[in-house]
Amino acid sequence: MNELLEKLSQCIEAGKINKTSPFPPAMKGMDGADELTKQALDAGISPDDILTQAMIPGMSRIGEKFSAGKAFVPEMLIAAKAMTAAMKHLKPFFTSGQLQRKGVFVLGTVFGDLHDIGKNLVAMTIEGAGWEVIDLGVDVKTEKFLQTIEKYPNCVVGLSALLTTTMANMEIIVKEIKAKYPDKIILVGGAPLSKDFCEKIGADHYSPDPHGAVEYLNKIAV
Amino acid sequence: MQIEKFSFSYNDLNVKVKSLALAMGYSTINIPEQVHHEIEEVISDGKDLCMIEGGYRIIDNPKWIKDFYQLEVEHAQFDIHKIIFNQIKKATSIAVFACTAGPEIPAKSRKLINEGDHLQGYVFDVFGSIVVEAAMDLIQDELRLKMIDKGVNISNRYSPGYCGWMVSEQKKLFSLLPENFCGISLTDSCLMQPIKSVSGIIGIGTEIKFNQYTCNMCDMENCLYRNLHQQELDEKNN
Ligand code: B12
Repeated sequence: MNELLEKLSQCIEAGKINKTSPFPPAMKGMDGADELTKQALDAGISPDDILTQAMIPGMSRIGEKFSAGKAFVPEMLIAAKAMTAAMKHLKPFFTSGQLQRKGVFVLGTVFGDLHDIGKNLVAMTIEGAGWEVIDLGVDVKTEKFLQTIEKYPNCVVGLSALLTTTMANMEIIVKEIKAKYPDKIILVGGAPLSKDFCEKIGADHYSPDPHGAVEYLNKIAV
Repeated sequence: MQIEKFSFSYNDLNVKVKSLALAMGYSTINIPEQVHHEIEEVISDGKDLCMIEGGYRIIDNPKWIKDFYQLEVEHAQFDIHKIIFNQIKKATSIAVFACTAGPEIPAKSRKLINEGDHLQGYVFDVFGSIVVEAAMDLIQDELRLKMIDKGVNISNRYSPGYCGWMVSEQKKLFSLLPENFCGISLTDSCLMQPIKSVSGIIGIGTEIKFNQYTCNMCDMENCLYRNLHQQELDEKNN
């Protein structure tokens, strides 16, 4: 693989944002995700190669480590920040249509629930896997999900809940979405959830962590 | 009503960088330098944001309904399920408690996240969790010493949402406390606000025991506190 892309991928995994960022100490003074993305574009590497050969693999490696308990929430957030610095350079190509995302992922914490750390992590990871993420925030009512689906008819939906009491609201949302859009794919997650609960409420996929969600999305995106 | 209320400042608590690191998962893996740095910063900025209030109400002569693993206190009946029931069924009084770290820490966390500083926002979130638990440790200790004077023991604390006891029973639990106790309110979905709050019960009686290590009883294998508690115990024992 191209050396620049290799380096960029490492910077994203390690969360090296730019040259001035002091972390991680082993990379002090070196170019970060920001500079390397610009250099790659200047060197004529296509935005698509930058995204698929450097950025996505970098995020995916940290996601795998997190899933395996070898990295924790902070490392995921640090990597996501480096990813954002790189993504900034690709924005014009998305806008012009030269670069395509894999799909649209609409995500929110269900009504009655105000937790957002887990949901944000899912949003960042899925964005880092090449999807456009529409984050509806916390305490999201069914109506809001339905309106957003109307706007993005091909989207995949993600729901998050952290308490058993609000898991019940998740069921209401899934039922109402499926009543109107029977084929809509819905992913669910959050600490008290399980595969059984996902099946019981008629959602399509449960994943205990963001990486599992990305693997599932990659399967259905092709 | 036998009610005790406390308010603490950060300096009353025993919060260490390590406590936050462990709650994030760093038990066997070394904490990255950046995260360490961030924790120190958050502790220093977060100190003044703590508005810790907590307390308990002691209620005598609770009824224990063995066939259904239920606890009856005044007008309220709780389905506390087998695990908790067996730990406190011999209690002759119970303390109903609630404690909060206050609204400022979650507000700061949310502000940082909205501004795009997800890492510091997250560290503030964890700080709030650790602060409220540490404050509740102090309150529990105060209760323990007071009860020892009276010749009785106290149990561990048990909360709705753990070991089969449903979060929806929070409504009944809070009905035993004065309205807006310590500034904590419940939403329709039984979420306490401020978000960094805890609630539950403690059993009191001569035949009650405190369990050093309760995590074995619980089925949450990937719980962050499992590591934390185990490490703290290991340190105490060494
Ligand atoms: C820290 C913590 C606290 C702290 C802070 C709580 C807060 N709300 O900020 C304190 C100590 C205050 C607390 C209090 C309580 N807590 Co608490 N708490 C936790 C703990 C240990 C970690 C939560 C956390 O921040 N996780 C980190 C984030 C990143 O994880 P996450 O949100 O789960 O998201 C991840 C995954 O779930 C997934 N995910 C999330 N959303 C989605 C969506 C999709 C589509 C996908 C694919 C994946 C996905 O990806 C994320 C990254 O991996 C959990 C147990 C645990 N190990 O999870 C219990 C837990 C959430 N708490 C629980 C309970 C019961 C309570 C209390 C009700 C107890 C009480 N009576 O006092 C109170 C309620 C507080 C309130 N305000 O009402 C229960 C909730 C389940 C239930 N029974 O309803 C849990 C699950 C523990 C348990 N018993 O199993 N708690």
